[in-house]
Amino acid sequence: MAASGEPAARGVALSKAYGSGDTAVLALDRVDVEIDAGRFTAIMGPSGSGKSTLMHCLAGLDKPTAGEVWVGDTELSRLGDKALTRLRRDRIGFVFQAFNLLPTLTAEENITLPGDIAGRRADGAWLAQVVETLNLADRLRHRPHELSGGQQQRVAVARALAARPQLIFADEPTGNLDSRSGAEVLDFLRRSVDELGQTVVMVTHDPNAASYADLVLFLADGRIVDRLERPTADAVLERMRRFDVRGGRQVTLPAPED
Amino acid sequence: MLKATLRSFLAHKGRLALSLLAVLLSVAFVAGTLMFTDTIGSTFDRLFRSTSADVSITAHNDVAGRNDQNFSGTVPTVPASLIPQVAHLPGAAAVNGRVALAGIVLTDANNKSIGAIGGAPTIGINWNPGPNSPVDLTSGTAPTGDGHVVVDADTVKKHHLALGQPLHVIAATGGFPVTLSGIATFNTTNPGATLVFLDTGTAQRRLLGHEGVFTSIDLTAAKGVTHEQLRDRVAPVVGSAYDVKTAEQTAKDAAQTLGTFLSVIKDALLGFAGIAVLVGVSLILNTFSMLVAQRTRELGLMRALGASREQVNRSVLVEAALLGLIGSTLGLVLGVGLALGLIRLIARGGMVLKGSQLAVHWPTIVAAYAVGILVTTVSAYLPARRASRISPMAALREADTPERGAPLRVRAVVGLVVLAVAAGLLVGAATDRNLGQAGILLGGGVLLSLVGLIVLGPLLARPVIRAIGGWFPRVFGPVGTLSQRNALRNPRRTSATASALMIGLALVASLSVVGSSIAASFDAQIDKTIGADLIVQNSTGLPFPNEVGDAVQATPGVGLVVRGQGTRGALVAADGTQKRTVVVGTGPGLDKVVRIQMRSGSVAAGTAPGHALIGSNYADAHGLHLGSPVTILFQSGRVGTLTVGGIDVTDTNPGGLGDEPVVASTTLRQYVPGALDDVVFVNVAPGASKAQVKSALTTALAKDPQVQVRDQSDYKKLIRGQIDLLLNLIYGLLALAIIIAILGVVNTLALSVIERTREIGLLRAIGLGRAQLRRMVRLEAVVIALFGAVLGLGLGLGWGLAAQRLLAAKGLQSLAVPWATIIAVVVGAAVVGLLAALGPALRASRLDVLDAIAHE
Ligand SMILES: Nc1ncnc2c1ncn2[C@@H]1O[C@H](COP(=O)(O)OP(=O)(O)O)[C@@H](O)[C@H]1O
Ligand SMILES: [Mg+2]
Repeated sequence: MAASGEPAARGVALSKAYGSGDTAVLALDRVDVEIDAGRFTAIMGPSGSGKSTLMHCLAGLDKPTAGEVWVGDTELSRLGDKALTRLRRDRIGFVFQAFNLLPTLTAEENITLPGDIAGRRADGAWLAQVVETLNLADRLRHRPHELSGGQQQRVAVARALAARPQLIFADEPTGNLDSRSGAEVLDFLRRSVDELGQTVVMVTHDPNAASYADLVLFLADGRIVDRLERPTADAVLERMRRFDVRGGRQVTLPAPED
Repeated sequence: MLKATLRSFLAHKGRLALSLLAVLLSVAFVAGTLMFTDTIGSTFDRLFRSTSADVSITAHNDVAGRNDQNFSGTVPTVPASLIPQVAHLPGAAAVNGRVALAGIVLTDANNKSIGAIGGAPTIGINWNPGPNSPVDLTSGTAPTGDGHVVVDADTVKKHHLALGQPLHVIAATGGFPVTLSGIATFNTTNPGATLVFLDTGTAQRRLLGHEGVFTSIDLTAAKGVTHEQLRDRVAPVVGSAYDVKTAEQTAKDAAQTLGTFLSVIKDALLGFAGIAVLVGVSLILNTFSMLVAQRTRELGLMRALGASREQVNRSVLVEAALLGLIGSTLGLVLGVGLALGLIRLIARGGMVLKGSQLAVHWPTIVAAYAVGILVTTVSAYLPARRASRISPMAALREADTPERGAPLRVRAVVGLVVLAVAAGLLVGAATDRNLGQAGILLGGGVLLSLVGLIVLGPLLARPVIRAIGGWFPRVFGPVGTLSQRNALRNPRRTSATASALMIGLALVASLSVVGSSIAASFDAQIDKTIGADLIVQNSTGLPFPNEVGDAVQATPGVGLVVRGQGTRGALVAADGTQKRTVVVGTGPGLDKVVRIQMRSGSVAAGTAPGHALIGSNYADAHGLHLGSPVTILFQSGRVGTLTVGGIDVTDTNPGGLGDEPVVASTTLRQYVPGALDDVVFVNVAPGASKAQVKSALTTALAKDPQVQVRDQSDYKKLIRGQIDLLLNLIYGLLALAIIIAILGVVNTLALSVIERTREIGLLRAIGLGRAQLRRMVRLEAVVIALFGAVLGLGLGLGWGLAAQRLLAAKGLQSLAVPWATIIAVVVGAAVVGLLAALGPALRASRLDVLDAIAHE
């Protein structure tokens, strides 16, 4: 794991523009951000605020128009496709909102896929621990279509954890789940930080989900506008309302669940 | 609805492109074949009609057969004395004697043969520029006296001959030197022959052996007299010993011979076109299946908005018909190009279709559109039916529901039953002694086994692909696993794609088995029958002048020399019935150069003067024994009664001495004066080396380039070469079907890549490199192609085996499996897979990761 104190990932004056001329959209506007190692960071903001773009840039899936991205001590802007692919494979784990698993592979094969691609020998003990933690032991031989949505997302989390990456990125991992399954997945992400020492970055627009994090970064119009340590759902909701009023913007937030 | 169909057609044009290509290629092959054969047919019709004399008189001879192929020195002729008898007849405007004889040889000063390639004949003709002459003298002078010839311009050009150049003509009576005095140019189509014009006296003496005879007498009808009227006046004058024919009859006879040949070529080409069409069907079927699957939501929405089942069904079929229409039109255009290309190709072989337009008859156009539209609509029918069954609810559901086909159990039962029947037919074909019946059984077995395997394909996909790709995960890691599972994802699609390849490869495999079995059988037959050290023969089997045999006998190092002659004739039974056969003449010592299995008597006794050696089948059928009289009708028309001196066991194997009677050369020449040798067997003298004698003979025969000196292994090579040539030709024609099958693999992969865009995005996000992704697609293609190859080879070996057993009844006893070809097919299939994957793999690896993840 990255040494504590040293950030797991860093964005320096990140900008990302789509299109050009009059129709240009500035999805990220000179963002400076640090992701602390061994912590659970949530990125919040209204739809279209640039959350996914920020995550993609930090994860080496997208190239910023300007600025620098550091993962550990590697600067990404100079890396080619091969090096970026290797970086994602070896140092980063992903959990997407949906379609996380390959339908032709079993749960177990999906979990070990990044390691298999890299040609690494699986660490059996670690794998067993991850599977144990995520409560997937009796689902390993199943194909994705035989699993529930919550189980599928748990397999995705297990895959992200299996290779012991420096960083796990999760883009709205509970967006497609009912509240119970969602809570389960969030709980596992939390435990992976607490018990397994992982670093997790999660994009969400659900204050309840954000409350599982150690730190919430608020994004609006491509800029980080605020941060909140050790959040609760209410505090997040409150903070969102406050800067909405201050910014004079209309933001529709989903109704808190239950 | 039609508007919606058109719009959807245009929206999918990229994905329909490969199907369009398949239709286009099939239609082009069909249309090109028809145009090509029609063009040849009509060109020759015109040629025959324009070159036939109004009325011609030829010798009537049932036994001798067509005189233009006969070079035995005993050509049926018409005496010149008939000319004054018919010249004064009312209505005869002109009478000309014609000499035309195929089978002569023209060589240059270095004894190099000048003549058309590919077996087209060299024809010696008397120079007699009448109204029906196919040539005009375009430079130099007409041939006069013994020493001059005129040669056709195409030959002159091809062999860079010049006026005044010394040449050599080898005819029945031997060779004689000439000079090229003039060049004649075809005023119609050049059928590919080499024409050598001599003055009439020379032609008669040198080609026919006598002055005062012609091969035919041509009459020109006066104005106002029809050909029939003239014929009816000529016929009673010349009597029944001669055939009198009008130009129409002559042309018709000639066209009939050509027509049979042309229709064989046409049927063969159309057969290959049919295979290409069949393969195209599977490609189009796959495309439409995938289009329908991808459009489940759209079609469901149409249903939800009130479109009826029939409307949905029709919209898919109209789309298919549209594809067929465009494909047929483009295919027709390409077909014209193909026909022109073929015409140019045969022009290189010597047949110049000059001044002839391409024959595009309306049946060709109808056939082209029928094939194109029928093929596409038939192949789109199943997917269309499936589309119409889509419930309106599908519009709201995830589109990722797996395809449903006929229940697996039904498929398995139907497939196995069909395959069992097919196997029964093939075994029947292999064991049936009746050739015609066995052929029908074989055809049925081939067809049914093909159908059976296509039906069973989806069920076989899993076990076969597991076996083929079982080692992939170990060697290629997760990429191997993924490619193998992807290939198995939709077994029906995989098997449809693979069956396209299977058809072509099954034919390649079975024909290669048959071809090499035939070659092996000939090898065995040559070993079994040929005892001579060396054999001198003309490559076309035609006779050659006696100077060849004389030269052989004069060559140092030769021991026993046996000269053989083949003439036409018939065995005449006691009741007068005739059995047409070749009557063989031989010098003494035949049993030392050919191994003949005797029933009774001896070869020497059978070939003693006044005696005959006959086959056991004929002897049994007619109750002949040693000493019995046997009556033979010779090609001269004379009948002789000889004494049976030996009975050999009838050998019906190809190359074996069948029921042909063998007599002494001296006896043969009593009845057929001047019969020429067509083979000379040579045993080297004791102590002489075979190689040295062979090269000495080759040198001695240098001025007769039409004959070759061969030993047993040369013969084997010759036959193998001919079989290989034929096989390569067939493989070339099958290439079209295989190309379409490759397009099918490309198609399937391209559509799979599109369908799996999200998966590809995910794989790339979690760290699969571009090269690995390309390898994944390539391996999937290789698996599909190998699946096709395995099925094809299995099927082809089965067919080949059945066909070989069938041929065994005809004497082709040996079975040889050409393992080199089989291995080449497997390797080739893998290469085909790799090639087919090039485009789709590149496309997959170029997908933008983020776009792919977000792909709907
Ligand atoms: N590929 C793209 N092309 C053009 N604009 C884009 C693209 N991706 C995102 N955007 C724009 O960038 C902004 C931020 O998008 P995104 O990061 O997806 O927001 P969020 O994830 O917070 O909803 C939005 O205005 C969006 O429309
Ligand atoms: Mg987003």
